This record gives sequence, structure tokens and C-alpha cells, in this order.
Amino acid sequence: MSSLIEMRQISKLYPNGVLANDRVDFSVERGEIHALVGENGAGKTTLMKILYGMEAPTEGEIWLRGQRVHIRSPIDAIRRGIGMVHQNFMLIPSFTVAQNIVLGREPLDRGLVNYTEALRITEQLSKEYGLKVEADATIDSIPVGMRQRVEILKALHWGAEILILDEPTAVLTPQETRELFTAIRKLTERGKTVIFITHKLREVKEISDRVTVMRNGRVMGTLKTAEASETQIARMMVGREVFMVVDKPPVQRGGVVLQVRDLTHIAETGHVRLRNISFNVYAGEILGVAGVEGNGQTELVEVLAGLRPATFGTAMVDGQSLLNHTPRKVRELGVSHIPEDRLTYGVALDANVAENTVVDRYYRPPFTRNGFLSVGFIMEFGNGLIRQFSIMAPDASVPVRALSGGNMQKVVVAREFSSQPRLLIAAQPTRGIDVGATEFVHQQLIQKRSEGCAILLVSADLNEVMSLSDRIVVMYNGAIVGVFPDAQKVTEEELGAYMLGLKKQDPAEMEAYL
Amino acid sequence: MKERRKQGWFEFARAVGTILAALLLGFIITLFVSKEPIAAYRAFLLGPLTRTNRFGNWIEESITLTLVGLAICLVFRARQFSLAAEGQLYLGALVSGLVGLYFQMPALLHVSLAVIAAALVGFLWGLIPGLLKAYLDANEIVSTLMLNAIAIRIYNLILTYRLKPPEAGYTVSRYFHPTALLPRIVPETRITTAIFWAIAAVFVVYFLMYRTPFGYALRMTGANIRFAYYGGINTKRVIYLTMAISGIFAALAGAHLSMGIHQRVILNVSMGLGFEGIVVSLLARNNPLLIPVTALFYGYLRAGADIMERSSDVTRELVMVIQAVIILLVTAEGFLAFLQRQMRIRRGAELAEGKEAGDVI
Repeated sequence: MSSLIEMRQISKLYPNGVLANDRVDFSVERGEIHALVGENGAGKTTLMKILYGMEAPTEGEIWLRGQRVHIRSPIDAIRRGIGMVHQNFMLIPSFTVAQNIVLGREPLDRGLVNYTEALRITEQLSKEYGLKVEADATIDSIPVGMRQRVEILKALHWGAEILILDEPTAVLTPQETRELFTAIRKLTERGKTVIFITHKLREVKEISDRVTVMRNGRVMGTLKTAEASETQIARMMVGREVFMVVDKPPVQRGGVVLQVRDLTHIAETGHVRLRNISFNVYAGEILGVAGVEGNGQTELVEVLAGLRPATFGTAMVDGQSLLNHTPRKVRELGVSHIPEDRLTYGVALDANVAENTVVDRYYRPPFTRNGFLSVGFIMEFGNGLIRQFSIMAPDASVPVRALSGGNMQKVVVAREFSSQPRLLIAAQPTRGIDVGATEFVHQQLIQKRSEGCAILLVSADLNEVMSLSDRIVVMYNGAIVGVFPDAQKVTEEELGAYMLGLKKQDPAEMEAYL
Repeated sequence: MKERRKQGWFEFARAVGTILAALLLGFIITLFVSKEPIAAYRAFLLGPLTRTNRFGNWIEESITLTLVGLAICLVFRARQFSLAAEGQLYLGALVSGLVGLYFQMPALLHVSLAVIAAALVGFLWGLIPGLLKAYLDANEIVSTLMLNAIAIRIYNLILTYRLKPPEAGYTVSRYFHPTALLPRIVPETRITTAIFWAIAAVFVVYFLMYRTPFGYALRMTGANIRFAYYGGINTKRVIYLTMAISGIFAALAGAHLSMGIHQRVILNVSMGLGFEGIVVSLLARNNPLLIPVTALFYGYLRAGADIMERSSDVTRELVMVIQAVIILLVTAEGFLAFLQRQMRIRRGAELAEGKEAGDVI
């Protein structure tokens, strides 16, 4: 009996000379949950795009249900029962859940869409697979987790037997992740097959039957999950030992560096994004901010970094007001900021590495002397940071565009860490970068903490918040709803309950710990 | 290093090849439209070199094109699509003319005053759309086109009702005072000391862009304005100052036209030269050091086309078609080279990471 899917000796050479897949063998059995893991750039997405017909392989064969097939397009893939849920959802925001699910396969009534029937189909599918959705709500009114369920239901409605999920948990809370896993198990009970792309090893252990590890475009091996340890998988991914646990010395808390009181931000649209936020960050500690994305964390960071005005409230760094200044003034007060979206704020892609490392200080000596830019010095400075932060770049004169995501992030980290900040605001510092680079950024954060820097860490990755922070606050709907003075003593479940707004601490009680 | 030089030669050979192909295509078009295609095409290809005054025309035009090219290059590098050069050129021609007509003083002082006045008005005429863009978010394409229309009307108005002597048969001003004329440095041509301004301007713009903190801010604003703002750069100031400084160079082109070429204020002094700066700057990939090269190339095409039109049976419209085809091919070649470079960058990055593979999205 042959496998359900067999990809044999698949190679993909892009016209620009990048070999994204190198003689990859990959097979999936019917009814299994197969995890596909690897660092960014390992070739997992390319392999799945080939399977889904979005890319044509340069060489190799695909066998589906024992027959050789050529999958020419996503439509072709869908016809053969392959569905894919992308990282960025492909839904129409103003349509309802039911309309999105039946889109392209609408139940018709005399040539018109039968909406009642669409609702019925949606509810039936939803019940069958345990994927809860509100059939009549529009997409833009429902949370991210539900949008993802809609995507899965859409694929099922289109008749998918094989579902490819591309990093599905990146946007979910622990509770939502658990629900998703339950649903995935239910899918396989009904004979569906799931391919699960991720780089979170705990999830691999929790959900998958088998795991295939990719590195540098090659398959490093396929293991039965039950027989492999996380460390073993990590080693296969990275090619060396990885320290999974962040090792940090006990906290040496100094004086208050950042003091925020009653900070409120009302967006131009009139939405209240921050509600009377108050907290302190002390020298030598990491204060973690947990929360489902979109609950005010972005606004908090941007108000503190000078990128957005505060409506009212105060924020002081070492006793000096931080609010409603230009970003330059804020930086001159000793604030560094790793932005959550490095491509928007963090780097200028077409500028070279050296130019990217001096944007906050180019106008000061020694970068500018007597009114002229010290071009040689800036280049030397960039080269120095490349060495110091192990940035993979031939030298500082290459454009940042030429670097991988992880190395772009290292450029941002190098710049923000090298300005001797009093306060470091790190927003999603390891988003979208691979295990090796993540480990590096974590070590650097711990290092800065030991040097007495005050760090405000905002991350959607709960694991990251929990392992790095000394104290944790949880944000929900623009307010702080919980504070945990000892990050070691809190469980994921408890944080999750606060993140979803199910639990809330009394403001008077919280005050002592903020 | 050897590899890089080889690559350089290859690129040079390819650029030459493209130009030859473009000229061949131009010739094929000429074959269809002319009874004496060889003579007509020779006029186009070699015309600018055949007589001193024609050679002069070519160089004069290239000076103008260099200056407006630099003006455009500045704003394009800051990713501001300001098209104000045309209006600034008119006002530069007008203001330098007013100084040349109404003041009397020693030569060096007179020329300097006229040039400074032109530069100042160019600066101000760039500042207006710059401030509108920076503080009111007014689209600079729209505002500069409108300002061009205003500038040209002001020019015509003052010329027609103030500068034109009543006895003149057509709309021109009197000749300027001799002290306000740029000295001609090549006999039998109108090549003046403005050629030194143009050369100096190239280095000034290069220096401004690459060796000053303002230039850094300008380039970062152009590369990613949100990055620049996040990093502490006052991007609004960069926007309006860039547009204003750009105006200086466009206005200098105007001063060159009135004080160096025509020696008086004439109607339709530019006829779109401000826009030709876009072609010059794009051909040079917005690199100030390449601008004189592309200005000479483009100026040669324009001068040759002019001669072909006058000395053969090919009509002006067709001459322009041929010119456009050549530009099109050359820019397409530039685009290919750009793509190739992008690919090399990516491949270089992969190699730098010591791997042969990677996800490309």
C-alpha cells in the first residue's frame, strides 16, 4: 500500500539561482497529522507551495493516491482534494462567514445564491468538525482565531481531504490553540489528513504523529514524534545544540526607570486604544506584556517611542517626560525601540547595513564631524556591529534587502542595543526569525538586563514572555487586567484566561505590583 | 576584483550594444519615411559634430539638461515626485532677466546677483509645494503642476506687459546689460561659463547627498520614510527642504537660458525642458555623478533630431518618434540591468549565509 502523498526527489531552483528545495523526499500517510518543521528559509513553504500547485518543481515527481500527478495550479490542487490555509487569511472582510465559506461553490436557487442554504451548510460543517463559527457575522467583526476556523471550513467545503496549515498557531492564544488541536484531531478521525507547518517544537510534540525536519532546502529526516525529543528535533533543525531553556541570573532590580501613569490614547478614529495604563519598569528587570494582539500593545509601544501622541496621562524616563516628543527627543532621553514590524519601521531595505545602523545617531559626532558625514567611520561602525552581533553579511556595504529575515532583525537589534539605552522597548523581538537568531536575541536581552537596562518586552509568543520576563502584565482591550509579580509562578492557562478577558484583577490590588 | 572589472566591461559592452540596436531600429523607421534615409540618418547621427555652432547647441542644451536633471534627481531620491522644475526654470529665467535689465553694476557682481536672485526664487518656488506636502499632505504631483501653470503665466504676463518694449515686433525683452551676460568661452558658440556651474553643481549635489547629514536624512526618507521617522529624522523638514533645494538647480537652468543663451527674456523659453530632466535623471538612475553623462547623451539625441528635422524630409513628429524609441530601449536596458543586480544581491546573500538554498516568497 503506497502513501497518500509521495513527493519524490523534488528540487526547486528559482530563476535567480536560489535552490529552495534540493532532492526532497516527503511522504504523508492517510489520516495522519504530519508536522513539517524547519527554520525560516529551510524550504518548507516552497515544498508546500509545490504541493498546492502555486509553484512548479524544477525536478521530481508527485504521487497522489498511488498515481503520478502534475498539479498545475491551486484550483487543480483543490480538485484533487488538497486545501491550504495560508498564514495571511484569504477572506473577504465585508462578507459574512457563510458567504466566505461557500464562495466559489455557492448553493444556488434559480441562479441566485441561496443564503439560507449557505448558513445551513456552514452550521452543519461547523458542528461536524467542532470548529465553532458565527455563520451570520461578517469576517471583520470576528476574532482572528475564528477567521482561521472559517478558512479551514472553506477548504472542507471545497472538498479537501488533505489540509495544509501554514503556521496556524502564530496568531492564536493558548486556549484557541488547544481548540484548534482538538479540531485537527477530529478531522483526522474522519479520515482527513493534516500537514502542519510550524517552528514551535512543543506543538510538534503535542499534536503530530510524525515530523519531517528540513534544513537548507533538504530533508534532514522524518521521525515518529513519540520517539523523538524536542532537543533532538531542534538539533536537526539548526545543525547544532540549542539551549531550549533561557538561562538567566536572578533579577537585580534597581530604581524606577520608566514610570507610566494613567496613560490613555484615543485613535484618530475615536477608538479608545489605551485606558488609564499605569506601571513602572525598574532598572535591571524585564517587564513582559502579554496579550492577544490588538489589545493595545502596539499603541502602548508607539506612544512611548514617540510615534503616536498620548491623549492624556504621563510617562517619565528617569524623571523626564517622554510623551508627545519627536522620536529623536525620545531617543535622546535614552530610549531604544525594537519595532514589532521590522519592514515598516525597523530597516530601510535599499540602504546598506552601515546606513541602517546609524539612523538614530548619524547627526552626532563621531558619525558627523564639522558638518560632514564621516562615511568611513560609519562603514567601520557597521562592520564592527556585524562582527559583534554575528550578522551574516559579507560587509556593511551590502543593502539590508540582501539579508535574511533573521539577520535583518539582528541589524535592528544591533542598532538599538548599541546606543546604551536606559530603557529598551522590545516589541515582538523574535517574530518570524529562526531558532538560532531567536536564541541570540534572547541572550542579548538577558545581557542588557544584567547591565542594568530597564526592558519592556511585548510579545505575542507567550512562551517568550514567560521565559524572559521577571514580572508580567496582561493587556486586554486597552487596559492592564492582571499583574504577576513573579513570572516564574504563573501558568500559561492562567495568563490565557486574563488574555481572553475571562479573568480580571482588582485595580486596587494590582497597584502594589505595577 | 578581477571578476568585478570583467563584470563592468560586460555591462558597458551591453549598454553600447543596446544603444546600437536602438539606433538601428531608428534607422529602420527612417527607411520607411524618408526618400534619402542615409542622408537623413547621417544628419541625425553626426549632425551635432559637423559644425561649430551645432556642436555648441549640443553642449548648451546639455548644460540645461544637467541642471534640471540634478533638480529632479534630488527630489526623486527623497521619493518626492515633484515636477516643479519647469516652473522654477521659467521663474529663474525671469528673475535673472529682471536683474539683468533693471540693475547696473560691475560685471562679476551683476552676474552673481542675477544668479543668486534666480536661485532664491527657485528655492522659494520649491518651498511652497514642499510645505504643502509636508504639513497638509497635498499631493506634490498635483501641486507642482498647478504651480508650473502659475509660474508660466506670471512669466508671460510680466514679459508681455512690462518687459516687451512697445516698438518690438514680437514678444521679447530688450537685451540685458552686457555686465549681466555670461561670458562666452568657445568662439562661434553660446557655450558660456555656465558650463562651470553645471560641473560644480554635479559635485555639490553628490556631496550634499552622500557626505552631509542632510543628504543621509534625504536618502533614508526616500528609502523608507517610516524608518526615517522612527529613527528620529524630521521627515517633514527633509521633504520641504529637498523640494526647495531642488528648485535652486532648476532655476539656475533658467538663468543659464536667459543670461547665457538668449541674452534676453523670450517667450516659451523652456518648452518642457523641466520635464526632460526626468528622463535625464532616470537614465542616470538618480545618481548625480552619472547625470552629466546622460545629459550629454540625451542632449546629443535632441540636437541630432533637431538637425535631421531641419535638413531632411523627415517630419518633426517622426523625429520625435525615433528619439522616443531610442530612449525606450535604453531605459528598458537599464531596467534589465537593475533586475540582474537585484538577483545578484539575493544570490550573494544566500552565499554569505553559507547555504545554497532558501525560501523565496
